[in-house]
Amino acid sequence: MKLSNQKKDDFAKQFSVGLVLFVMLLMVAIFLFQYTPMTAFFWLSGLGFGYILQRSRFCFVAALRDPALTGSTAVTRGVLVALGLTTIGFTAVKYFYHLTSQTIPGQSYIASIGMNTVVGGIIFGIGMVIAGGCASGMLMRIGEGFEMHLITLVGFFLGTMLGNNHLAWWNNHLIWSKEGVFLPDLFGWVGALVIQLLVIGLLYGLAVKWEAKQEL
Amino acid sequence: MDKEDHKNFRKWFKPSWSYVTGAVLLSILQVITLIVTQEPLGITSAFSYWAMRLQGFLGFATPAQLAVVSQLIAGRETLWFEENLVTLRNLGIVLGALLSALLASQFRLKKIKSWQQALMALLGGLLMGYGSSIASGCNIGAFFSGIGSMSLSGWVFGLFLFIGAFIGGKLLIRFLL
Repeated sequence: MKLSNQKKDDFAKQFSVGLVLFVMLLMVAIFLFQYTPMTAFFWLSGLGFGYILQRSRFCFVAALRDPALTGSTAVTRGVLVALGLTTIGFTAVKYFYHLTSQTIPGQSYIASIGMNTVVGGIIFGIGMVIAGGCASGMLMRIGEGFEMHLITLVGFFLGTMLGNNHLAWWNNHLIWSKEGVFLPDLFGWVGALVIQLLVIGLLYGLAVKWEAKQEL
Repeated sequence: MDKEDHKNFRKWFKPSWSYVTGAVLLSILQVITLIVTQEPLGITSAFSYWAMRLQGFLGFATPAQLAVVSQLIAGRETLWFEENLVTLRNLGIVLGALLSALLASQFRLKKIKSWQQALMALLGGLLMGYGSSIASGCNIGAFFSGIGSMSLSGWVFGLFLFIGAFIGGKLLIRFLL
């Protein structure tokens, strides 16, 4: 009985602290907006990103790890939905810029493909599983109170420093496509969108089947 | 606001959202970010930036790295948060998660349990830092934003992330459980 009262107190206290924090974060946003609106946008979008990640327990590590480790694909399917919706949204924006002959935004994210992608993907995949969080998950869990992920952040920073110094080597060895491949250049806008959504849909179907198979 | 109202108001923040709700909201955030900043979401470019700054400060940056840094900060009266806006957004992620955890009364200070756990955290971070800097991004920039941008690199990175996560899972079972 005493414990449960303590718990109730804790809930009320955390909520009140949360409200104070909310006001403070908004005040920072107003300050940044007066400085430049763009800084305020980065601030608010970060807050929104962190809020959504925490509240929906959205985790890219679990999405890629759990199908093989526990057989659960619930988060995987969530990530696939996000990939599909973002593809549609991004393609609409990019196609609009293309139609109006403006520079298409975000094309710097069409990265080169080569051994750097393969090795980078594998070691990032190993790292995120043993650290229990990727870049976004680590930042989110620091906010939730995990001390462990402060150490991960230090490691992340040091690993980045090392990788930066090897970047020139990776960029000059075993690169298969230096410019990267923007799928609409290969298949046309509609073709690329249809193919990509079909692949995402197929993976979704596989994820559903995979989970059903585990439960048998 | 009387006590009962206050309680109901709090309840509104308590339940977790479904993964699909998260997916829809993250996609909306991605599209707004692409329109406003002309780039999708990314996280690790901030770590790269400060790693280069630190190296420059310590005096062992290559001329190419120094050129990138000076180009980024040239001609601006910069405050620390304006130098690299992705850093500001990353700080926002931490505080947004803290806000969400507090409003739902889910904030718990989780101490490091053992030196093995600390070592794992450090090693995992090192691997992620190295991997993301050579593959130009993490789960967000290279995978989520890459695939969303219909870049083949996003799919290739995703495939090998999956393989890496599989290996990581095996290592975890072998050495920890």
